[in-house]
Amino acid sequence: MEALKVWSLTATPLRQLLRLSSSTRLFTSIYGRRSYHSSPALRCASAASSSSSSNAATAETPKPSGRNRRSPSSSNSTSDREAIRSIRLKKVEELRGQGLEPYAYKWEKSHSANQLQEIYKHLANGEESNNDSDRVSVAGRVVARRAFGKLAFLTLRDDSGTIQLYCEKERLSDEQFEQLKAFIDIGDILGASGSMKRTEKGELSICVNSFSILTKSLLPLPDKYHGLTDIDKRYRQRYVDMIANPEVADVFRKRAKIVSEIRRTVESYDYLEVETPVLQGAAGGAEARPFVTYHNSLGRDLYLRIATELHLKRMLVGGFEKVYEIGRIFRNEGISTRHNPEFTTIEMYEAYSDYQNMMDMAELIVTNCAMAVHGKLTIDYQGTEICLERPWRRETMHNLVKEITGIDFSELGEDLRNAKDTVLLALQDVLEPKDKSGIGACSSLGHLLNEVFEVVVEPKLVQPTFVLDYPIEISPLAKPHRSNAGLTERFELFICGREMANAFSELTDPVDQRTRLEEQVRQHNAKRAAAAPETTEQNAKKEDDDDDDDDDDDDDSYEVTLDEDFLTALEYGMPPASGMGLGIDRLVMLLTNSASIRDVIAFPVLKVQQ
Amino acid sequence: MEASADKTTQAISELSMDSSNSSIAEPGASDGAGPRSKNALKKELKMKQREEERKLKEEEKAKQAPKAQSQKSVAADDEDMDPTQYFENRLKYLAAEKAKGENPYPHKFSVSMSIPEYIEKYGSLNNGDHVEDAEVSLAGRIMNKRSSSSKLFFYDLHGDEYKVQVMADASKSGLDEAEFSKLHAHVKRGDIVGVTGFPGKTKRGELSIFPRSFIVLSHCLHMMPRKAENADSNKPENRVPGKPRNPRKAENADSNKPENWVPGELRNPDVYVLKDQETRYRQRHLDLMLNMEVPKIFKTRSKITKYVRQFLDNKNFLEVETPMMNMIAGGAAARPFVTYHNDLNMKLFMRIAPELYLKQLIVGGMNRVYEIGKQFRNEGIDLTHNPEFTTCEFYMAYADYNDLMTMTEDMLSGMVKELTGGYKIKYHANGYNKEPIEIDFTPPFRRIEMIGELEKVANLNIPKDLASEEANKYLIDACARFDVKCPPPQTTARLLDKLVGEFLEVTCVNPTFIINHPEIMSPLAKWHRSNSALTERFELFINKHELCNAYTELNDPVVQRQRFADQLRDRQSGDDEAMALDETFCNALEYGLPPTGGWGLGIDRLTMLLTDSQNIKEVILFPAMRPQDEPAAAAKGTI
Repeated sequence: MEALKVWSLTATPLRQLLRLSSSTRLFTSIYGRRSYHSSPALRCASAASSSSSSNAATAETPKPSGRNRRSPSSSNSTSDREAIRSIRLKKVEELRGQGLEPYAYKWEKSHSANQLQEIYKHLANGEESNNDSDRVSVAGRVVARRAFGKLAFLTLRDDSGTIQLYCEKERLSDEQFEQLKAFIDIGDILGASGSMKRTEKGELSICVNSFSILTKSLLPLPDKYHGLTDIDKRYRQRYVDMIANPEVADVFRKRAKIVSEIRRTVESYDYLEVETPVLQGAAGGAEARPFVTYHNSLGRDLYLRIATELHLKRMLVGGFEKVYEIGRIFRNEGISTRHNPEFTTIEMYEAYSDYQNMMDMAELIVTNCAMAVHGKLTIDYQGTEICLERPWRRETMHNLVKEITGIDFSELGEDLRNAKDTVLLALQDVLEPKDKSGIGACSSLGHLLNEVFEVVVEPKLVQPTFVLDYPIEISPLAKPHRSNAGLTERFELFICGREMANAFSELTDPVDQRTRLEEQVRQHNAKRAAAAPETTEQNAKKEDDDDDDDDDDDDDSYEVTLDEDFLTALEYGMPPASGMGLGIDRLVMLLTNSASIRDVIAFPVLKVQQ
Repeated sequence: MEASADKTTQAISELSMDSSNSSIAEPGASDGAGPRSKNALKKELKMKQREEERKLKEEEKAKQAPKAQSQKSVAADDEDMDPTQYFENRLKYLAAEKAKGENPYPHKFSVSMSIPEYIEKYGSLNNGDHVEDAEVSLAGRIMNKRSSSSKLFFYDLHGDEYKVQVMADASKSGLDEAEFSKLHAHVKRGDIVGVTGFPGKTKRGELSIFPRSFIVLSHCLHMMPRKAENADSNKPENRVPGKPRNPRKAENADSNKPENWVPGELRNPDVYVLKDQETRYRQRHLDLMLNMEVPKIFKTRSKITKYVRQFLDNKNFLEVETPMMNMIAGGAAARPFVTYHNDLNMKLFMRIAPELYLKQLIVGGMNRVYEIGKQFRNEGIDLTHNPEFTTCEFYMAYADYNDLMTMTEDMLSGMVKELTGGYKIKYHANGYNKEPIEIDFTPPFRRIEMIGELEKVANLNIPKDLASEEANKYLIDACARFDVKCPPPQTTARLLDKLVGEFLEVTCVNPTFIINHPEIMSPLAKWHRSNSALTERFELFINKHELCNAYTELNDPVVQRQRFADQLRDRQSGDDEAMALDETFCNALEYGLPPTGGWGLGIDRLTMLLTDSQNIKEVILFPAMRPQDEPAAAAKGTI
């Protein structure tokens, strides 16, 4: 995390390019996108099958229809889909012709499906509840439909679960029963009211007295037996994914619960929620390539924030003692299963505390969230059992490196070249060529220690581990360790080999801070100068590796300057404090057992579709 | 001057050091005459008091006339100095400390209680009482320093919006006098200190902490801006002398809590210690430190957000996050920010509204969702516009705009009641130097029909087919007749908007719903169930500004596509704020969006109303500002 301002070298030409094209863009994009409207990419039914989605389909299959595997809505070609669309559009017309509005304005529902399942679980097979108080009304999407002569079964799903609609001709008006048979398709959103009964076969049902088409759907639902297996499309059309796989919505429900639990936890300690700017004159608080944009009326480039750190610390200078912000951070980097260009963090700062206090806070937040989601602290992540029982292991980076590699950095001496040789020799069997060049490029012992840690130790930190006391060279915003020269009071929390949180006793000395940031700028510029001739080579190399941390490949062709506003604020005096940043997406991944960050972000950024 | 040091300090500790009252020491002292100080010591004390009063008066002079050459106070000397010189001296001092092997920035100070907790716990002490066996550790920023001798220093320690006096006495410091005076000579106004000592009240009732140890935790290297001399009563020290201050409780509230402003009440930034707007907004840390109402603005903002969140959570809404970077900036009519993703080689727009994504989630089966977050619009900056601002949008399946109007009334009136204690707030709608207005949030709110009311108020008869050339021409004429400016393109929607602004919005001081907008103004709203030229939409106006916008959502995909096509036509005629078609969104509608009510609220503007702010920059911690050549220059000196 480096507090550096960033100015992109490419900003000016880029901006002009954007402005030039912005007027024409909208038209091209409209037509451009419309042109693939009818292409196979947008089809929602898909033939292939995957284990997860077919499980899901089984789970939500209503029992009575389990035998009935006809799936009238599945369609395998564009023409099928277009045919269905035009048939349904015709139904819309016909309904209107009959004076019925296929897009209703409102529906009063008395219960959710799940509530009914609870309230009426006592009903025996064949039993019906006929009191006036048992008149219920529900609304939801039709996900299954079977019609016989004088009887039709519909399965309705809302956001709580499913309920069967038992539609007998004699309980409905003739008109309504005919409507039901003629106009209702799977996918339509329906409101229905009636009384409760359990069928002879044991399915709790609503005996429908009246219903109303609330929204006529035009497109067939994806085939629920085969599921939506085109992963790319699951992310591009999340709504289809959610209709096909109800458990997808559960991830977002859990996400909401986690965020709410984090808020509840920190607010119980009197932290104040604040909002700091996304658009900044300079992007500081971390080392990352920022997004650049242009403000027309100010006539200047703005950068999207890459961290909230520097502004939040200015709040501490201003006298707030505990502040936090949950918000979006933007980094102009490659996408992967762990990286989305925009992601959500909580950053929190507390005056008069140090990084030891923050470790307790990290434990508290993560365990509270785990309890809120799972009700227990032993969880499964992608087949590995993770034990979140407190306290978590706290170990210094030096000791962890020594433990795993046998190299004792405290005995390596001051000579960088010797140290590198020792490391390369000790780890020659472990290191890939890429790692070796990374080690060769290290500019200090601190960088070298960190490189060894990242390559060799990180993946092994499966159970929650606080890694303590990072080298000062890679921690420009952390306070020097009170008893170990060359180190800082910093920790990172690792779970499942992934960094979850990063925290330190904050550096409050403005003179030291300025020196460190200046050093950072110097290093960045040196790297940039060195990288410039190789840029083309690097670009050629970095085509594919989608799922890696490709930090090493980052070209550094953006400029970094000091954040004078932050430094000036420090000169007014910031109280001793600790601060922590915690990645919410990664925490949600852990607690929802999601393999990819795209599973926990409702609308992830994806490559442009060809 | 002094008798034995011990006795003197004991006597002094019985005195109030509230400097503003030094001129009325006599009544103050008698007010505070508690049982402990009555008889035996009375005469002796009285003498000492006179001595101390003299000292206090000197000190008072020193404080009030910092530039006077005759003063010897350390603090006064500092204030004379050139700000650059001051800064250099401070740097030199720190460098010297480091050279000696000292760490001028300690890692940790254990605070045993916050200043408000301290006031809560010890505020009821009797005047003159000390609790010597208690040990308390407080920390905060020193905002005032006074000394009567090298053995006795008084500080105002500020933290969490409250302040408490620190009375540092050499005899209790555990240091010898030389060490003590050296330590305190280097403590400057603005420093952050940690104090461990015992609680007590001075004889005149000033709650204080009497330190046994005193440590500087962080240094203020700049001269802290000071209030201009003889300014009015905003600052706590300048309370009207002689004012009766009997009830102990009220006094504590007064003397330790620097400001009593609450949401819904009036503010007056013209009397702030730090007035310069540029400095206040650019260096918010100074604004927060010096102007005691300012932290409360941001606490109020946080409470507003929290209230909205709780209100929706209680109705089983789910908080979600949708992308801030979009391939198409949809959901509203505004100019977006453009950026570029290098690795993906892709142009992206900052969102202007989360609407289209949130509706996709409703299609996906999440029946009640909301998002509180930033929106971005590439527009000019003025009193009510910042390029990034915070909104709450919620979407509720099976609800319509009538339900949403009721919910809006419930939410806003409930919030105002909770934050202010009543339904009415005061607001300087016409500037801080004009009479404030009152805004009444008592539900239900007034509802006016847009077209009907406009025709009535402006005496118009607008052609019924608003999409027609005829209507357009009629409105162009109307605007010309009333001298209502509508810069090109003069689309019917824009003309109507200007007329509504001129004739209707100005009448909306108390919360008012303007309802049933014409279809041409509302491409995402559903046609009205009883008049298809109109939509089921409302906007809530308060103090003539739009605060909420909501409608029964258009969920007919065919009609939605048609509306986008109409927008495209407006765009082609030059209205670059017309909405762009989002194919993914239209496709989602084809899967079926249930009947849904959708709603948006501007959090910044609501905060402005409840904090008596006329400028949006008052309620945004770091508002967008024009670039400045020398960012820190303005604050280097005193203000």
